[in-house]
Amino acid sequence: MTAHSPDPIVCRPACADDVADVVRAARSKGQALEVAGNGTRRGLGNPVAAAVRLELGGLGHVHFYEPDDLVIRVDAGVPLAEVERMLAGRGQYLPFEPPCHAALYGGAPARATIGGAIATGLSGPRRFQVGAARDFVLGVDGVNGQGEAFSAGGRTMKNVTGYDLSKLLCGSFGTMAVLTSLTLKVLPAPETERTMLFPSAGLAQDIAALAAILSRPLAVTGAAVVPEGEGMTMAVRLEGSAPGVAEHAGRLDGAGLPAGRVLAAAESRAFWSRVRELDVLGAGTDDLLWRIHVPATGAAGLAAALRRVGLVSSLMLDWGGALMFCAMPAAVSGGLDGAVPHLRALAANAGGRAILLRAPDPIRAAHGAFPAQAPGVRALAARTRRVFDPAGILNPGRTDFLEAAC
Amino acid sequence: MRMPDPDQGIIARRGELAARLRAIVGAQWVLDDEAERRPYRCDGITAYQATPLLVVLPASTAEIQAVLAVCREQGVKIVPRGSGTSLSGGALPLEDGVLLVTSRLCAIVAMDVENRVARVQCGVPNIRISEAARPLGLCYMPDPSSQMISTIGGNVAENSGGVHCLKYGMTSNHVVGLEAVLMSGEVIRLGGGFQGAADGELDLIGLLTGSEGLLAVVTEITVRLVPLPEAARVMSMGFASVEDACRCVGAIIGAGIIPAGLEFMDRKVLNAVASLLREEHDPRTAALLLCELDGTAAEIDALIERVRGLAEQAGAIDIRASRTEEERERIWRSRKLAFSAIGKMCKDYYCTDGTIPRNRLPDILDRMAELSRTYGLDYANCFHAGDGNLHPIIMYDAARPGDLDKAEAFGADVLRACVDMGGVLSGEHGVGVEKRDLMTHQFAPADLRQQQVLKCAFDPEELLNPGKVFPSPCRCAEFGRMHVRGGEMRFPDIPRF
Ligand SMILES: Cc1cc2nc3c(=O)[nH]c(=O)nc-3n(C[C@H](O)[C@H](O)[C@H](O)COP(=O)(O)OP(=O)(O)OC[C@H]3O[C@@H](n4cnc5c(N)ncnc54)[C@H](O)[C@@H]3O)c2cc1C
Repeated sequence: MTAHSPDPIVCRPACADDVADVVRAARSKGQALEVAGNGTRRGLGNPVAAAVRLELGGLGHVHFYEPDDLVIRVDAGVPLAEVERMLAGRGQYLPFEPPCHAALYGGAPARATIGGAIATGLSGPRRFQVGAARDFVLGVDGVNGQGEAFSAGGRTMKNVTGYDLSKLLCGSFGTMAVLTSLTLKVLPAPETERTMLFPSAGLAQDIAALAAILSRPLAVTGAAVVPEGEGMTMAVRLEGSAPGVAEHAGRLDGAGLPAGRVLAAAESRAFWSRVRELDVLGAGTDDLLWRIHVPATGAAGLAAALRRVGLVSSLMLDWGGALMFCAMPAAVSGGLDGAVPHLRALAANAGGRAILLRAPDPIRAAHGAFPAQAPGVRALAARTRRVFDPAGILNPGRTDFLEAAC
Repeated sequence: MRMPDPDQGIIARRGELAARLRAIVGAQWVLDDEAERRPYRCDGITAYQATPLLVVLPASTAEIQAVLAVCREQGVKIVPRGSGTSLSGGALPLEDGVLLVTSRLCAIVAMDVENRVARVQCGVPNIRISEAARPLGLCYMPDPSSQMISTIGGNVAENSGGVHCLKYGMTSNHVVGLEAVLMSGEVIRLGGGFQGAADGELDLIGLLTGSEGLLAVVTEITVRLVPLPEAARVMSMGFASVEDACRCVGAIIGAGIIPAGLEFMDRKVLNAVASLLREEHDPRTAALLLCELDGTAAEIDALIERVRGLAEQAGAIDIRASRTEEERERIWRSRKLAFSAIGKMCKDYYCTDGTIPRNRLPDILDRMAELSRTYGLDYANCFHAGDGNLHPIIMYDAARPGDLDKAEAFGADVLRACVDMGGVLSGEHGVGVEKRDLMTHQFAPADLRQQQVLKCAFDPEELLNPGKVFPSPCRCAEFGRMHVRGGEMRFPDIPRF
């Protein structure tokens, strides 16, 4: 689905100094670079036309992990799964629950890198309560589009010394700098978790029920509505100490909801992994996938509109309704060239922004993986990118929002 | 600390500029009289002072746009100011610059319960957001000690923290939308009215938060509200040595407990506070930790027992836990009064903001004691121990010649030591002018340049809050020229790969 042609030359340096050499060489030749980790999620963002692919997967050093200080520094090429394994060994975790998504693009999940997770800035179900990827990046090392290596941020929990480049680079899709190492804040993993499943009462009612739950001091770290069989299920995850979770669960029972089904820790973990990786969507391998950021108050209306016009074959909500994923059949009636902008317009009407998480290259190339931004913001983003990468050689076109107005 | 020499040509045009700005904001909202301008001479650092060229108090985003456009056209610098509580000199005026005060933009635009966000104008004092959210059962978490006065715009500009940021994060973790005016007069709107509104876009919100008024004037902010914690209790734990207290901090975090707050006060602070509160501590107490735990009653009880065990292991000689809200407030009062209590003990004090990896706490405290002897100045310690954010309070007497210089040098040495121990110059107060000249100690030239070039994307003429944060200007014009000539100039030999 994400064929790139012709195949680029792959350049896989083994240390940060070599990365800088590669970028400098490309810069001096005016040659574009596709920047990737192990290339498991190249279908995310717009297709990049570059003769050389710079892969960071060869940078595999763990600089330090200090559990007592809640901090880890790793090279960008260390697999995400390896980072998570290391943390789990000390009872810690990445709170933002990064989705891997490699399987969506036919990539091997075990090879997805931490650098890719930070460069794409994706955050999973827990994000709406504990923060996004950007909230856990304490520092980065990188190489800008001039081939100059630099460090930003630090390793302390608090740091307001100078501009927060770590946040700026998180989610910049390799368009400003090649990230070579990352310093991340980690936290103790909750002792246990439990999920309560309730039959959906209709999306509008579900979202209202979740809003009521989320306005109370409960240790809710997951609030989704997902397809199940012919219908939908509302899922609420509680995390914390065993007595805390039990107490909060008791309060949920008394929240006026119908009796729920309970998933104990292991089942709950498996369930949210399926939510995070969108398995619950039941999308076909050729379906387009959308990630839509929308106010929870607009989500039910948007879902109804999408279903009415037959643009999606299935959809789910996360973050209490502020995040919608949907599947659009490749053979959608009227054709993709009409359906893609149509869905975007409906999302915009609901106050949301629709990102094409997966679609054939020509569709993303034609319509952009990301929705258009206001011209002023778009121009500002382009100027921001240009001061890091004046010649525009790093992942050119990956994020159309950065490509305009240069 | 030196600021660039003021431009006398601009100062000569004060009257003309005042007239232009009065046409925008109304006559009474431009202060040009010396007596009216004087109160704005400094922010929270009174040691640095300058009378602004003019003080302008606009009432809307549109007025700010127009003010910035006129200043840009006239080549006049702007210093944004909220309530002027900055502890790094970020709002220090310029004699040849307009001080743009945001206090009239003080409306709470919307409280949105369903999406759990508040949209407010930049001049709203921090506390008013939580006050407005409280009847809804919600609150705005970041709580700098200055929250009664400091504005949310200032909080965003400094990325302020507070006692609760150990568990709940700094200002930047709570901002979901921003409206800002660029020096060009252009208004930009980022993110929106719900969490995740800016996900998938270049994180310009993250960049503007903590940019200390150098990149844009932030006019409207949408923040995330969270449910008021159900209950909270605070523990007060006395230790016979500073080392024991530090060990306890490490033990609590190492055990996987993230308290809502974890604060450190040394004996000098306790004495100063005791004289105000008439509250006695065990005479053997060398350091006190305050540890707040929140959640449900049962969770808190369990955590208190765990923390008590860890504190005992670390050698605590006195452990108390609040049982009522009144007790909780009374225990916290000593922390909240700490700075004013010290202020009563000495003529002047200077408080800085370095941050270190938590496990280096004992080392930095040793170093401070050593520096205190070298400089012959007394100091006290009261800080956010949980996140390694130090606030050494250096006592001096401004009337004694050389004392201020010594205090500054002492503070600078502490900050350098923080950096040398793997830490940073500032945890929450910002760089401003105070730490500006130390930036080269933390950042290599390439690292600093990588930050500074952003100025070229936002304010290439460098009119917004110049002379702050960076020891030298960015010189965007030169940066542009360098890039026009391109990589060949810089890298004559192309490495082979
Ligand atoms: C007693 C006391 C206790 C304090 N406690 C804490 C604490 O616990 N934690 C903490 O982090 N800080 C603390 N501070 C520091 C200070 O209160 C914060 O930095 C605060 O955020 C400053 O807000 P302000 O409105 O006073 O901003 P100002 O001091 O007026 O300005 C601060 C900076 O922000 C810029 N600025 C202000 N408004 C805008 C705007 N709208 N757009 C762009 N730039 C703007 C200014 O140019 C300046 O650089 C304390 C200060 C005092 C005096």
